[in-house]
Amino acid sequence: MIQNAHAASSRPWVAETEPPFLRIQKVTKKFGDFTAVDEVSLDIYRGELFCLLGGSGCGKSTLLRMLAGFEAPSEGRIEIDGQDMAGIPPYERPTNMMFQSYALFPHMTVERNIAYGLLREGVKRDEAMSRVADILKLVQMTQFARRKPHQLSGGQRQRVALARALVKRPKVLLLDEPLGALDKKLREETQFELLKIQETLGITFIVVTHDQEEAMTLSTRIGVMDEGQIVQVGEPAEIYEHPSSRFVADFVGSVNLFEGRISVDEKDRLEIDSAEMGGTIHVGHSTSCTLDQKVWYALRPEKVRLDREEPVGEANRARGMVEEVLYLGGQSIYKIKLDSGKSVKATKPNLLRHEDDAISWDEPAWISWGDTAGVVLTR
Amino acid sequence: MATLIERVPPMRWTAGLLRRLGLHGRGLVIAVPFLWLLVFFLVPFLVVGKISVSEALIARPPYAPLLEWDGWRLNIIVNIENFRYLWTDSLYINAYFFSIQVAFVSAVIALLIGYPMAYFIARSPEPRRTFLLMMVILPFWTSFLLRVYAWQGFLRSNGVINNTLISMGIIDTPIQMLQTNFAVYLGIVYTYLPFMILPLYANLVKLEESLLEASADLGGRPMATFFYVTLPLSLPGIIGGFMLVFIPAIGEFVIPELLGGPDTLMIGRVLWNEFFSNRDWPVASAVAIAMLVAVVVPIMILRSLQARLTEEK
Repeated sequence: MIQNAHAASSRPWVAETEPPFLRIQKVTKKFGDFTAVDEVSLDIYRGELFCLLGGSGCGKSTLLRMLAGFEAPSEGRIEIDGQDMAGIPPYERPTNMMFQSYALFPHMTVERNIAYGLLREGVKRDEAMSRVADILKLVQMTQFARRKPHQLSGGQRQRVALARALVKRPKVLLLDEPLGALDKKLREETQFELLKIQETLGITFIVVTHDQEEAMTLSTRIGVMDEGQIVQVGEPAEIYEHPSSRFVADFVGSVNLFEGRISVDEKDRLEIDSAEMGGTIHVGHSTSCTLDQKVWYALRPEKVRLDREEPVGEANRARGMVEEVLYLGGQSIYKIKLDSGKSVKATKPNLLRHEDDAISWDEPAWISWGDTAGVVLTR
Repeated sequence: MATLIERVPPMRWTAGLLRRLGLHGRGLVIAVPFLWLLVFFLVPFLVVGKISVSEALIARPPYAPLLEWDGWRLNIIVNIENFRYLWTDSLYINAYFFSIQVAFVSAVIALLIGYPMAYFIARSPEPRRTFLLMMVILPFWTSFLLRVYAWQGFLRSNGVINNTLISMGIIDTPIQMLQTNFAVYLGIVYTYLPFMILPLYANLVKLEESLLEASADLGGRPMATFFYVTLPLSLPGIIGGFMLVFIPAIGEFVIPELLGGPDTLMIGRVLWNEFFSNRDWPVASAVAIAMLVAVVVPIMILRSLQARLTEEK
């Protein structure tokens, strides 16, 4: 995972050095009996690249559409740069949106598509055209200015859609699955370009995506959504290493979950008795829980050690049988069936080109991990 | 499919016969409408074309033959006098222009009324949309002739409209509506409105909501969105609807006959009079041919325009 440079340089959400730029306060959206967005509150700061991450139907797109003004919140308040957005139609909002389908006007050339927003704003034709030329250069589409959308490839359309949304220099740019329609290779390239453009222009980006990898790569912060609610907000590393619930742990990346009960609860140390894992788990930190409470221990596959020899110590270890080995090139995924019956995933980087003595399937093996490798989850 | 044809003897024999004639599969599918057009359009058209270049006779049939065998050679007698005659008598020219004017104005009015209706239907939620579309098509279930007659009942001096207005005290004497050009426009717009709405609807229903949202998002107010996005994108539908109203309205006979006055000289009526009152088949045929030419040119222009617009998307 690549860390965004922004996260390190300025993090106003940590120190609260500046007021939030975009405030969503207890916003609810109902469609009949169905609650699409349920009392969401969120503060987003100037220059952030904020990702709303969630599965389909989690309400992330509805939230974005409320920011753009296509839907009115049933309850709650949206504020952009100190201005209440209630009752302000889309064409008067300081936001621009890049649509999932791109929504390029099929009857206009690339140039006219991009100029559209400027001309509606009353910008003079000459000035509009020079600004269009600038933005076309930024997205490297200058030679396609006279083409129509149907004469472009998917990646080129994506750039035009981005340029059209950027050219008006909105206070907030809303992106709905911006890379969803691109193939994997192109998506990775475009991610970096999107980051570069965002840093160049300093516009606040809000990206809706269902792709956790995309969210990790792009964002300063991620808001994970489920069933209309924001379940966790945090920087990518925080979301990955300190998920607040089983849902987040499972949705962002891959995870092994061991159910168990707290057997020892001390100031900076916990012990969990897990029948599912078939042993005791030592945890090198405390969390707000009580003795004998039901908890889940979340352990990422890359933090699992896999050995033939029995590891020392009596906790944080279990024996099992390698069931499957998936070779992915850079790493391999091992599926191990523990003696307790639980299946566990472990990944191992392939450091050598030929490893003659690699652990293979149908071989007994031990898994083990350190005191700080996993997280205790209470929900 | 093939197995079914192979199994049933009469079908197998027919298929075999057709194959021997060089027809199978796709060729056959195209051949049927092609033959239909050949027999019921091209041949009659050639007959009309032949009559239009012959001389009128008081005989049966009331025109001179095109080919004459005078014992030792074949004479082809072509008489273009009929076409020249159309130019010299201002009646025909006026009737042409008036027909085109009526058809054009009616098509424009139908467009102005039909566009908002088609737009509204296309933007309605699904169950209501089907119902509204049904309402548009519903008039076709009653005979066209009956519906035009019904308008007479509404428009005549002691008809529904005049009676209502008089009883409400708005007017003292009935307004002359029947047998005016107004009644003709009304009748044509009323009759052909569904032909305007349906192609417009078919076009507008495909218009992506996201395009309208994109326009609004980029600062386009509703009016701007309409003129810069909706209208240009619905141009193929507009042209389609316009043609479906304009073309049949030019040759319309029933509506001007039933609702129009003596001065409503449309080409369909002239044609009728020429054929049935005057019994001058050659001139009538010439009128028909000239009308076809007059209509085909604008159709071809509109068709190519429509094709270009559709292709661009």
